[in-house]
Amino acid sequence: MSKFERNGEAYSLDLTLDEAHILINLVEQLLELLGEGDFFHHYDMNDPFAQLMSMQQEVVAPDDPVLLRLLPNAYNDPEAAGDFRRYTEPAIRSTKQRVLREIRTHLAILVDEDKAGTVADLEADTWLMALNDLRLALSVRLEINEDSFDLFESLPDEDPQKSIYAVYYWLGWLQENLLALL
Amino acid sequence: MNNDRMSDDSMSDVSTLTNIDAALHELLDRPWLCIVWDDPVNLMSYVVFVFQKLFGFSKEKAHELMLLVHNEGRAVVAAGSREEMERHVQKLHEHGLWATLQRDDKI
Repeated sequence: MSKFERNGEAYSLDLTLDEAHILINLVEQLLELLGEGDFFHHYDMNDPFAQLMSMQQEVVAPDDPVLLRLLPNAYNDPEAAGDFRRYTEPAIRSTKQRVLREIRTHLAILVDEDKAGTVADLEADTWLMALNDLRLALSVRLEINEDSFDLFESLPDEDPQKSIYAVYYWLGWLQENLLALL
Repeated sequence: MNNDRMSDDSMSDVSTLTNIDAALHELLDRPWLCIVWDDPVNLMSYVVFVFQKLFGFSKEKAHELMLLVHNEGRAVVAAGSREEMERHVQKLHEHGLWATLQRDDKI
């Protein structure tokens, strides 16, 4: 199975073409859910003027449970939670999109060349954050809880859910693997 | 109308000031808390990594806090001004941890 490697301060990841395809599909789906089109700008989102302008958009708690897990309420009090969301959520979204876009760029090289290969000189923090968000997103759809691994193991191979669980646990294994190298 | 109200207020100036003073003390004594909640997805080693990265904790301290979150269901990871705690919550959300902030409820 593919794993991360560390050489001094340089991290790399060997991937099969299938693995690269699985990862890039998940990354692109999550970028889409995070509203890539609406949030990909050529100016810096941290620019005070850009922040002022973006405040005119209504920012409310998301309906999609995946988005609500990625962008949770910061307060129990709905009014305070709404204010926090209005002022802070664009920056959080923008960070999540940045790390996903970064790993997408790496993966696209392998996928476009249509062959297995190495993602070299990768940023460990970026990959840890992106892998984590992918796992969180899948966990909501799979309703992951303490008993999920037993359920996964008991599913017959022909169950279509089984491969999704397998991807979820593979991502966790990858993330654990990279953490152990830090 | 305005004048009437002003004269009413001025009569209770002293007690109002005392009340404000007490309220300020209470405010200063009750910091805001940044709380991280347990969830079945985030890896223990990832939570330790995030605590070290964002709060500059030693590996031991970060591990201890992670276990507290895991065993108790939640743990206070920082306390201070509202602005500071909001920044912590923002960073924790960026890293995928489930975090909230609230006033310290002990008076």
